Amino acid sequence: MEDPERTKQLTLSPTGSMRAASTARVIRLPLRTDVATATGKSRATANHGASKRRSALWYALYLPQLEALPRPQQQQYLNKLAALAQEVSSTVSFHPQALIFEIRSSLKYFGGIDVIHRRLGQLVAAQLAEWALSDHFLYAVSPTVTGSLLLARSGHNALVYQKDNLRSALGRLSTEVLQLNREQNRRLYNMGVRHLRDIWRLPPAGLRRRFGSDFLNQLNQALGKVPEPTRNYLPPPAFLTCYDLPYELENLDRLLPVADEIFAQLCDFLRRRDLGTSQLLFSLQHEKRGCTEISIGLRQPSRSRKHLMLLLETHFSNLSIPAPVTAVKLEVTQFDAFVGYSNPLQTSEKWGQSKNSFDSGENQQRSGRKFYSDPIFPPNSRGNLNQLIEQLQARLGEHHVKSINSVAEHCPEYASQQADYLEFDTPGKKREAVATQVALHPRPFWLLEQPLQLRIRRGRLYHRKAITIVSGPERIETHWWSGTDVRRDYYVAREQNGSRLWIYRERGADKRWFLHGFFA
Amino acid sequence: MSVIRAPSGTPGPTAGEACTHTQHIDELLHGNPNLWRGCDMAGQGCHGRSTGFSQLDDILPGRGWPDRGLVEIISPCWGMGELQLLIPLMRSIVEQGKWILWISPPYLLYAPALVQAGINIGQVLVVKLDTSCKDALWSMEKALQTENCGLVLAWQNYLPGRVLRRLQLAAATGDTLGVLFKHHDSKYSPSSIRLQIKGSSSHKGSFTEAEVTVIKARGNFRPLTTHIDLYQQV
Repeated sequence: MEDPERTKQLTLSPTGSMRAASTARVIRLPLRTDVATATGKSRATANHGASKRRSALWYALYLPQLEALPRPQQQQYLNKLAALAQEVSSTVSFHPQALIFEIRSSLKYFGGIDVIHRRLGQLVAAQLAEWALSDHFLYAVSPTVTGSLLLARSGHNALVYQKDNLRSALGRLSTEVLQLNREQNRRLYNMGVRHLRDIWRLPPAGLRRRFGSDFLNQLNQALGKVPEPTRNYLPPPAFLTCYDLPYELENLDRLLPVADEIFAQLCDFLRRRDLGTSQLLFSLQHEKRGCTEISIGLRQPSRSRKHLMLLLETHFSNLSIPAPVTAVKLEVTQFDAFVGYSNPLQTSEKWGQSKNSFDSGENQQRSGRKFYSDPIFPPNSRGNLNQLIEQLQARLGEHHVKSINSVAEHCPEYASQQADYLEFDTPGKKREAVATQVALHPRPFWLLEQPLQLRIRRGRLYHRKAITIVSGPERIETHWWSGTDVRRDYYVAREQNGSRLWIYRERGADKRWFLHGFFA
Repeated sequence: MSVIRAPSGTPGPTAGEACTHTQHIDELLHGNPNLWRGCDMAGQGCHGRSTGFSQLDDILPGRGWPDRGLVEIISPCWGMGELQLLIPLMRSIVEQGKWILWISPPYLLYAPALVQAGINIGQVLVVKLDTSCKDALWSMEKALQTENCGLVLAWQNYLPGRVLRRLQLAAATGDTLGVLFKHHDSKYSPSSIRLQIKGSSSHKGSFTEAEVTVIKARGNFRPLTTHIDLYQQV
């Protein structure tokens, strides 16, 4: 410790940050006196220092307990903490298991570094307790980002005000704080380097050759010799807008211009941030009643006003409101990155026109089609279909559009599945999985949900007309383990009127006949 | 065929010249789809999409399904082979990367059968059975207007001409083909093609045979009937 006056050390209390916060009061020293008395430099230097006072001061918050967590979770926690730390600083940057804030600009507002420290300590401790992590953390303040980080990692909880003092403050630290790889550590150890101050004595050119420029760069950044670019925290975008109608509206069509205006604001907002949205909540507020909420989901992130309006109109067409609307509110519940596309050189429109058309009515339709081929979506991809499905789901309900899937299963009623049209991004994969797993015997297009029992009249099978068996049997015996034992002989049959049936006979005691499907 | 009369002043054309003249005229006639020639079945040029059944191709104008428009298939009850008739069409549509939408089919659509028929079920979408008629028609119109939906199938019985006309226009807009399955024939329907499918009456008990009658087809003037083997596609 070369300069004990200028490098105040805070004691770390591993039990809780609150106690650490109380000891932080020790470090409150007026900056000017610190410079003038402790160093005894000339007046000119002090003035120089005063003018440099506006240079940033970085508060590092190091959470070693995060290291045990998986990386995505680390990032998630750091994001959450960064959002909290926005309370004390406008610039928050991310580092491995650490956050670093700029606090020089907030010093005057909060009235001292210990106030900021206490405040942060409370926030962070509360948050860590919520995550069931141990609530201690390491911290340090210095004029450089990397310097603060290294000091915090060392666990010294140091406060360094002046850039000139960084060299000595950092010099005390062990080389472990650099978090080098094993080989580099070994090499440093063999060179007799134990602390950073040992590195200061070595020639930079040689260091660069032996350890690479990243290593040297890190040290130079810590000393403030080279600029330090940081990745700063950006708060997630939020969009919430309300509009009070001047008078109550009962007709939803009258609401469309208002909605259009709101969507215009939204699209403007999204365009400026280069975002799209895939989930919106549009609520209509009524007097003395709850509000009617319309959730608009998009299959593909969009920021097209026309598209959103189209979806809202579809929702409106199916909506009845309990009371007149007094206000409307729009909230974006999910933002997504906007994916742009480029128009093809030759549009499909041209191809259509080059063909001969049958009559003039069709030409009119062509011009009407412009609305649909408006570049809301890339024209050649599935965007067009996505738009259709969004519309269908908006009108019919979420679970009315189904995709079908074939399952490797002996029992006929379980071999086909219907699922909501959801994550349909890998149709090719699905087809491969399915193609090989189908029965060899013919299967009908239509399956009855409940098999229909057939009558036997004068020794002949009847459905609506007499039935003659064409081929069969195909024996299916399965599901004996589940209690609903399936033992059937399937036949392909033909009804007298030409209908082609798939029938089966139970192999149980009563040997009844059932109709199970149609070969349409 | 039309008679070509040479102008009176010029000498009569030689045999070779006459041949080229008729060729030119034939070309002109065939090149113009707006011109309807009553005697010529395949006169519309070969712009249809083959049905996959040569007998059916022979009696359809354009030798196949139209590229866009509305087709009505009338069958007295389900299970007469009305879907089997469309299998080659579905296959070609799926191969084009387009989708097939089934709007409220009367029974559960059975996926293994589609797989057996060689149709990629990843490109099949079903709108559930219990959809109201109004919603089903709305969905059908929207789907027909969408270019990515190559084929839209719906099961509806009595539809007024106005509705059918609207669907027809939607199909023309989206360049898609809509198929309506019905139990009853409506005489003055504006659909491009009306087909009736029956179990073959002549071949008693024959499973694979079906009798298909073209009641109406644009560019055709009289009903034609043929027998096709549903499981022997070209």
